Amino acid sequence: MAVVMKGFMELMHELIEKLAAQQDPGISESLTARAKIYAARIRLQHVVDQADGLDAIREIAANLIGCEQLAVYKVDHSAAALWLYWSFGIDPNQYAVLDAVKNPNLKEVLTGSIVFAAGDRSRNLLAVEDHVSAIVPIIVSDAVVAVIVLFRLLPQKTAFDVADRELCRVLSGSAGRAITPPATKLTKGNSSARE
Amino acid sequence: MAKKVLLVDDSTTTLMMEEMILKQNTNYECFTAKDGVDAITCAVEHSPDLVLMDVVMPRLNGFEACKHMRAHSELSRIPIILVTTRGEEDYVATGFQSGCNDYITKPINSRELVTLLHSYLGE
Repeated sequence: MAVVMKGFMELMHELIEKLAAQQDPGISESLTARAKIYAARIRLQHVVDQADGLDAIREIAANLIGCEQLAVYKVDHSAAALWLYWSFGIDPNQYAVLDAVKNPNLKEVLTGSIVFAAGDRSRNLLAVEDHVSAIVPIIVSDAVVAVIVLFRLLPQKTAFDVADRELCRVLSGSAGRAITPPATKLTKGNSSARE
Repeated sequence: MAKKVLLVDDSTTTLMMEEMILKQNTNYECFTAKDGVDAITCAVEHSPDLVLMDVVMPRLNGFEACKHMRAHSELSRIPIILVTTRGEEDYVATGFQSGCNDYITKPINSRELVTLLHSYLGE
């Protein structure tokens, strides 16, 4: 793992040098967004296994988006249910399963769309106690295999901005390695199908 | 000669983003460390002009690493900025008690970060 991480850091430095060489004063306004999106993409592209994939999702949600309460659900299409697979910062017993039949937002997510709370903190996307800020489908080979639920954002974060929405799209298209076992690892082509 | 900044975080994603922001906006030379213990070793080796350090890290957290640096003869005067998820008064007070000079909250905004570092290191 240490060897893999060393290689990853070396690659990261090389990529950053290349990006820095593309400096353009006109893009300074969107620099935060660019830096976050590049960092997220590179991190997800170099995921080594499922545990690392889940850690990458947590890092992106907590450090780049500003959400330290999240859960990943595996989709059971036959039962129209979502089973909790992994969580961070929430009580897992409270959110073990979500019923896709009863919730229109989940139905929409299962078609491949990302649903945001649109900055309205009084509007909750799921009928649960904690506020849900966004629900992101994880898409593998054009199918929704899992769903990321982003709960409450950090207090200093008032709403999703353009960069956050793009980060959610990156997660949707590239976080499949956190769910799919190594034997069915994605190819580069289908892991970025939505980008 | 370029000013040297030591970036400390256990998240490679965060290190990557911070380094990218600084490379595109400043002439600072960046070094990275993945926890408080590595940070102290790296700081002794490279003598950075500033340390930008996360608080929650394995082995040695940001508060503790900050205290160690302040007690170290070669590192005691280096400005330390802590990166926190929380900006509450008590939490910030703990940071200042550990010896940090400033703090910035997550998620990091590039303009805020660059302005803060410029205020310590100049452009």
